[in-house]
Amino acid sequence: MDTASTVCPETSKLVTKDSVTLTINGRRFKFSVGDGTGDISPSETLTETLRKRLQMTGSKESCGAGACGCCAVIVNGDAIAACMTLTVELDGNNITTIEGLEDARKGLDPIQQAFIDEYAFQCGYCTPGIIMVAKALFMKKAHPAPDEIKEALAGNYCRCISHYTVLRALNKLAGNNNAELSTIVKASDLVQEPIPIAQELYPSPYASGHVCKHSLD
Amino acid sequence: MQYRDIRQPNYRHVGKYSPRKEAREIVTGKALFLDDFSLPHILYGRTKRSPYAHARIVKIDTSAAESLEGVRAVITHENAPFLAGLGWPVHRRVLESKAFHVGDQVAIVAAETLEIADEAVDLIKVEYEPLPAVFTAVDALKEGAPQLYERFPGNQVDPGCPYFQPDGPFWQVNKGDPDKAIAEADFVAEDEISFSKMPCPAAPETPSVIARYDGNEHYTMWASSQSSHIMKLLMQAYVPGSIIDVNTFNVGGSYGNKQTMLNAAVSAAMLANVTKRPVKIVLTKAEQLMTYEVRLGSTVKAKMAANKDGVVTAVKGDWLVDVGCVCNSTQGQIGVGLGEAQLVLAKCQNWFLDSHIAVTNRQQAGIVRGYGGQELNSCLEKLLCAIMREGNFNPLSVFKNNYVSHGDKYLWRDGRTYKSRSSFFFPDVMQETADRFGWSEKWKGWFKPTSVNGVKARGVGMGVIGNCDIQEDNTEAIVRIIPDLNLSNLGGGGSTVIVECDITESGMGQRSNACKVVAEVFNCPYEWVSITDPGSRNNPSNFGLCGSRGTITTGKAVTEAALDAKKKAMELAAIKLDRPVDQLDMRDMVIYVRDTPELSIPISRLADKELSIVGYGKHVEKFDCPSCMVVFIEVEVDLETGHTEVVQLAGGTDIGQIIDSKTLEMQLHGGIGSACLDTAIFEDCNLDPSTGRLLASSMIDYKWRTFNEIPPYTGFVMESQIDTFMFKALGIGEVSGAALASAALMAISNAIGADVKEYPATPAVVLKAMGKA
Repeated sequence: MDTASTVCPETSKLVTKDSVTLTINGRRFKFSVGDGTGDISPSETLTETLRKRLQMTGSKESCGAGACGCCAVIVNGDAIAACMTLTVELDGNNITTIEGLEDARKGLDPIQQAFIDEYAFQCGYCTPGIIMVAKALFMKKAHPAPDEIKEALAGNYCRCISHYTVLRALNKLAGNNNAELSTIVKASDLVQEPIPIAQELYPSPYASGHVCKHSLD
Repeated sequence: MQYRDIRQPNYRHVGKYSPRKEAREIVTGKALFLDDFSLPHILYGRTKRSPYAHARIVKIDTSAAESLEGVRAVITHENAPFLAGLGWPVHRRVLESKAFHVGDQVAIVAAETLEIADEAVDLIKVEYEPLPAVFTAVDALKEGAPQLYERFPGNQVDPGCPYFQPDGPFWQVNKGDPDKAIAEADFVAEDEISFSKMPCPAAPETPSVIARYDGNEHYTMWASSQSSHIMKLLMQAYVPGSIIDVNTFNVGGSYGNKQTMLNAAVSAAMLANVTKRPVKIVLTKAEQLMTYEVRLGSTVKAKMAANKDGVVTAVKGDWLVDVGCVCNSTQGQIGVGLGEAQLVLAKCQNWFLDSHIAVTNRQQAGIVRGYGGQELNSCLEKLLCAIMREGNFNPLSVFKNNYVSHGDKYLWRDGRTYKSRSSFFFPDVMQETADRFGWSEKWKGWFKPTSVNGVKARGVGMGVIGNCDIQEDNTEAIVRIIPDLNLSNLGGGGSTVIVECDITESGMGQRSNACKVVAEVFNCPYEWVSITDPGSRNNPSNFGLCGSRGTITTGKAVTEAALDAKKKAMELAAIKLDRPVDQLDMRDMVIYVRDTPELSIPISRLADKELSIVGYGKHVEKFDCPSCMVVFIEVEVDLETGHTEVVQLAGGTDIGQIIDSKTLEMQLHGGIGSACLDTAIFEDCNLDPSTGRLLASSMIDYKWRTFNEIPPYTGFVMESQIDTFMFKALGIGEVSGAALASAALMAISNAIGADVKEYPATPAVVLKAMGKA
């Protein structure tokens, strides 16, 4: 049977394990290590353990190279890339995932609520990772500065561009004023004495017509 | 007419922010994406890929892979269960006896676990005969170039896409007398510009599918596709005799790029057919970057002419498009690109803008946000810049004078002529946005920096683009008012609403917006309206959220369906209340007499017990309401290193009517990502010239914009109530960043005082333009 061998940091000796114990979102899990059915192999990543073994699919495996932050979870207070971490190396550690942030009685974590209030996501695929990295930052520092927030999230890839609203949500939580990066000016707000009207009961024939008669050929 | 004379409606929901229906699932990690889902008895698929850019497969030995415990199928071109074509017109098969790019599919494997599938792929032995390869469209069309397909002699793809162009192929804008106009012009520019690095939109979620074979050529698919309808259409075309149903989940980013995913989808279908078990294929990040669809390559060789007022009077030239090794309806993108060019230069009456498509031994290029428009614009605007520079024009006035106005005519992707019924205020939007950006203070003239501080020079640039695809493709929807008596306790009329509409959420918020506009029609809380899960079988037909079409087309179909249901409810209430319909009104699912509100009836008591009141609505394609997106950018270039930083951005549009305030803001921001802005700055996709292998195969190698590189953004939004559908809105996301690449090159050129013509303007390119390298 395969077992996991790691080097003990105190004695520098090779330690062989036949089981791994993790505490995930407050619940203790004990896995046997080996190549039997159901065993954790020494090469299994934390992402695989969480997503495939425990069906905790909130964290995502996106780049598989520790570059994008979609798989971020918190281990002993630090955000880590779960796709680059071997589960057997985490024996005895405390892990918090996105599934563990919401409190059944108190409700959503303030970061989660702020992300809803400020619409701090688009497709939402990278969002659990961003929230976990932000959570780790706020656990260490209740009022991080705007640049500290950006720096903490520098390893989180978002291609839809939720950056502005993510930073808006987190800066509000941190109490940072004047950190706004996006301003939208509505022309209607500039009109003095606007004329509000009720919606039209009957839309125009163009708006409701079904035959395309506008081609000029 | 002034903007202030436009009557602004006062809606209950429309225009305000409503949290997305799936917001709570997303922030708690419960939102389901394809790879979070599985089926009983599932197998995992992997692909054996070619290390050669062009090669003939001499021999494949799959015996070792087949005998590996846990392997259920190994399929090559020699034993495929059916012949699946690829491309329009069909020019190759999914599995071939040849490989056409580094990473092309050679064999597919299904196994009990991913690890076994990976090991089996390694055990497949392939003997190749390498063939000469060609990596640029210009080279591909040269005489004597290596030939890819028999179907395309000279590597040139047939023009036209019958699905989009029912009257016949449309591939060139041909009108007036460009030669005469050029001869008579005050300013003429001629150049060849390339936008051909073919960057990757790199959605965080890789393309992924599950296929289940249900017998009798019926397949059920689950896919990370942004459009179940398009995937169904294309798969049925390529899998002979098949009936395909497609289900989708939340999609982890797409940007138009994850629609058909044909290679993976057909492979999964083949493996499911052979094994009679469901098969899941999730592309790795390296596969997505190196083998999946990227942006089209573009080279424009053209002349452009303008009069003394800076109005463009002639365009004559050729747009050469590199589609890589598969052309999958790129002809539609050509049509849209040509259309968008005419919107930007709408006063020009003399055109001969031709186009050609070439196949090369690169990975397939296809649809990416901007849909052909960004690719052509990034080239054509460099010519416009040359004219503006020659005439010493301020770009702001040139764009204002040239952009499409209400009443201007243009050809769109179907080759038909349309006349704009859109906004009267696009020039005002450009000016107002410019004012907020500080254009008049920052613009110092052509090739003149805004400011220089030591080795740091700042410069500004701008661009304009628009799109008529926001009304593309037919779509229908059903709205059902269903009895739900719990609500009568909440002060409502005991009814809720279900919108049956096949749209998949990949980040645009349109599923929620569909509910929102229906709630507005019924004048009921947004929370009482829900939408069906996306899927091609259980919903009416909808082309999906592409081309920014969701706002108008889905908006129109669902509001008409809601109005239809409302009309039926009103007619039933009129009988029960003994009042004519025009005296009735509706609020919170209760119908009441307008002048005697105490005389009322809950909608739940109108239909027969347990039955719904059902409405139907549809949208039919047209292209007469172009959008307009103006962008401004300020950059700071290090004159010693050539490194460029974006200092600030601004974007402006007349959106007609805001449907959701934050959704619109996010759509404007979105133009920065998905291979838009940074195709001009650092998204440099280089091939190893000796092997044709892409050098960036991971997210460590592929350059992307981080949180601490996001510049301040100012948006300006006008709402001039454009006559599109009940709520008079336009869509914008498709083009919100499409002009940013050309604007960035203009800004960098101005900062350094020299013309940068190469995309992206990496430090090496900038230093070369400055004569330092």
